[in-house]
Amino acid sequence: MVTKGSSLQVFSRPLGARRVVAPVIFALAFFIVWEVWLRFLPMSRAVIAPPSAIYTTIVNAFPILMKHTLSTLVEIMIGFMSASAVGIALGAAITLSTSIRQAFYPNIVGFQLIPKVAVAPLFVVWLGVGSPSRLAFSVFMAFFPIAVATATGLANTKGDAVRLCRSLTATNWQTFTSVRLPFAIPFVFAGLKVGLTMAMIGIIVGEFITGQEGLGYVIMFASSAGESAPLYAALLILATMGLGLYSCLLLVEVAVQRWYGAPFSSEGFA
Amino acid sequence: MRGRPQLSRTVGLPIATAVMLCVLWQIIVTANGIPEYILPAPFDVGRTLLASLPNLLAHASISGTEAVAAFLLATLLGFVAAAVLTYSPLLRDIFYPAIVGFQLIPKVALAPLFIVWLGTESASRITFATFLSFFPVLISTLTGLQNADPTAVRLCRSLTASDWQTLVSVRIPFSLPYFLSATKVAATLAVTGIVVAEFITANAGLGFLILSSGPRMETLTIFAAIFMLCIVGLSLYGTVALLERAGRRWFTGA
Amino acid sequence: MTSGVPSDPDAAFVRVNDVAKIYDTGKMTIEAIAKADFEVAKGQFVAVLGPSGCGKSTLLMMCAGLESITTGTIMIAGQPMRGPRTSVGVMFQDSMLLPWKNVLENVLFPIRILRRPRSEYIDRAHALIELVGLTGFEDKRPHELSGGMRQRVAICRALIYDPDILLMDEPFSALDAITRDEMNDALLDIWQRYTKTALFVTHSIREAVLLADRVLVMTNRPSTIIEDVTIPFVRPRTNEISETPEFMQICSYLRSLIEQGHGRGRQNPGTRATVRKSRVVQGTGR
Repeated sequence: MVTKGSSLQVFSRPLGARRVVAPVIFALAFFIVWEVWLRFLPMSRAVIAPPSAIYTTIVNAFPILMKHTLSTLVEIMIGFMSASAVGIALGAAITLSTSIRQAFYPNIVGFQLIPKVAVAPLFVVWLGVGSPSRLAFSVFMAFFPIAVATATGLANTKGDAVRLCRSLTATNWQTFTSVRLPFAIPFVFAGLKVGLTMAMIGIIVGEFITGQEGLGYVIMFASSAGESAPLYAALLILATMGLGLYSCLLLVEVAVQRWYGAPFSSEGFA
Repeated sequence: MRGRPQLSRTVGLPIATAVMLCVLWQIIVTANGIPEYILPAPFDVGRTLLASLPNLLAHASISGTEAVAAFLLATLLGFVAAAVLTYSPLLRDIFYPAIVGFQLIPKVALAPLFIVWLGTESASRITFATFLSFFPVLISTLTGLQNADPTAVRLCRSLTASDWQTLVSVRIPFSLPYFLSATKVAATLAVTGIVVAEFITANAGLGFLILSSGPRMETLTIFAAIFMLCIVGLSLYGTVALLERAGRRWFTGA
Repeated sequence: MTSGVPSDPDAAFVRVNDVAKIYDTGKMTIEAIAKADFEVAKGQFVAVLGPSGCGKSTLLMMCAGLESITTGTIMIAGQPMRGPRTSVGVMFQDSMLLPWKNVLENVLFPIRILRRPRSEYIDRAHALIELVGLTGFEDKRPHELSGGMRQRVAICRALIYDPDILLMDEPFSALDAITRDEMNDALLDIWQRYTKTALFVTHSIREAVLLADRVLVMTNRPSTIIEDVTIPFVRPRTNEISETPEFMQICSYLRSLIEQGHGRGRQNPGTRATVRKSRVVQGTGR
């Protein structure tokens, strides 16, 4: 499922003014209609709140929101970093020999297909309702795509590159470090992008079911308390966090691409 | 150029590894006397599975039907939406940034929102799972439709075909591989969505069963339910994968 | 003029003896090479010419020790080729430069792998880079170079560790016609300086005649070598010889051989009609 393919385009015409202006106008219109509608046709505060109320909530409850935001953010980052380390190491270990790869790779890919979220309560049974269970679950969710992507990248080194090393009588280790590992980097990044999303899902679902702290907890608390404004506020912060973290990863990718010297347009998973 | 590896190796080896790991699991549990509420032995899980089969199947059918419903809705809506966006460049300009943005945020976080809007019945769970699986289908199909072989598109234009005709006769067939590979992702996400929704609010279904067994330390039930869920998930995925292969064979004529 | 086969068997640097290659993919067996039998003397530049898919690259890979030999033996410098050797250099169709290294580092890549002291080879690296006309490009990355420039770097890389023989697998096939001509000229120049034994696989008749001392013509699968044609042009050569009538004559002769080989390959080699082992083409030469 991982493809390091050419970049496909959704837009055939070059960037025109309409491509930038249209969505902006639509977004503005959306928010305006949202605000105005609720002023004239008020709906239950438990279900929906106008943007103005959401804004007020954020401003008033800022310290508390930030405390929970920080908790979620820190957990996501720790989870993602750990998952990357474990995933890359495992992915590399699998490709050590063809037999090991044939034995384990299908199993790991198979693990990808099962609904891993279902295992979350198991981590709570094992590790309690605190950070450790959420972190462990997040690592569990995220390390699979990273391991699969790393293994795929390492196993698919260009034939001529390997042949070049062999013709120079390079050792397996030399071939691995000079050629296999660097050529696998684009694949690894495709896996990291999926892994980041998985790490976030892990922490958020973990917060849903442990209900202690974090933005997930805020969401659950707000929905059961019948106050939707904090719920939307938390969602907004989460969305921003998601975009922010993903952008950071993209920046890292761009920096690595510059060192790598060749563009890699990894589409990632379908 | 090495010969194609024998089937016994590519299929037998991973299966043997999985079996060996289960055996290892059993040995570790019995040798160390690990209590059942922490890590049950595979044997006991199997026993519970058989003993509670009717109960498990009842829960499984609830989760399963909801997941299948969500999957079907997601694939249908995703395909239609992609076709609409291809047909209308204006709508595409308006909505595409939002679509991409939605892909980058953790959509599971929206589960409670769906509950708040649509209540605690299966309708809200199905809607949420559909929402989750709809995006990969939309984006993949849209990419496929937009990137139909440019030569074929030019051929249509030289025959003065309308946009609609081009869509139907060239773009849609070319987009099928993209669409079909996205349906596999949608299958996995549909099940995930149902499970997460059941975590939050449900009184039946495998997700509910897993979550409610947690505080009661009924780890055996959790494992049995997870196994059942794997079967449900893999069945759906497997069916979709087979359909995808058939579709691909039709497309490439191979 | 003598035939292409060295008269003294001990002088043969490369000896390919009765070699066949059969692939077994489990589903079917493919006889890629039915019989390859030839020798190359030290310092000779031999081209292997044939249509695509005839197995000439496979033959080269077997000579490089990168592909197993089904039957027969390949000896280089008196030793059978059972695996790759550092005295045997290989150049591929894809220049295969490492994109994260600059030109100088790419040229020195074999030195790193072979764990030889870098300081001893830096001057040689710079000399080679100058020879191929890329002075000033040492710190450029491959993606900043054109296809022809990349292959020039690949040539430097192949020569830096001074192998006794250079095996080249259609190194210029991926280049456009103009660049290809430039590369042929460059290779002729380099050959003046670093005369080495060379085995050069190509499907371009013109290239083979321009560069080589001998041309081995291969048929389709299951392939054999139907002719061993000596090219009479004296070195140093320039590309002007490609305008001469002798050159055209040899080219059209080779073309007819290849066309023969198209149908010939499908027959059982044993039932083939007479084959002339090495035919001499008379030319006035320059």
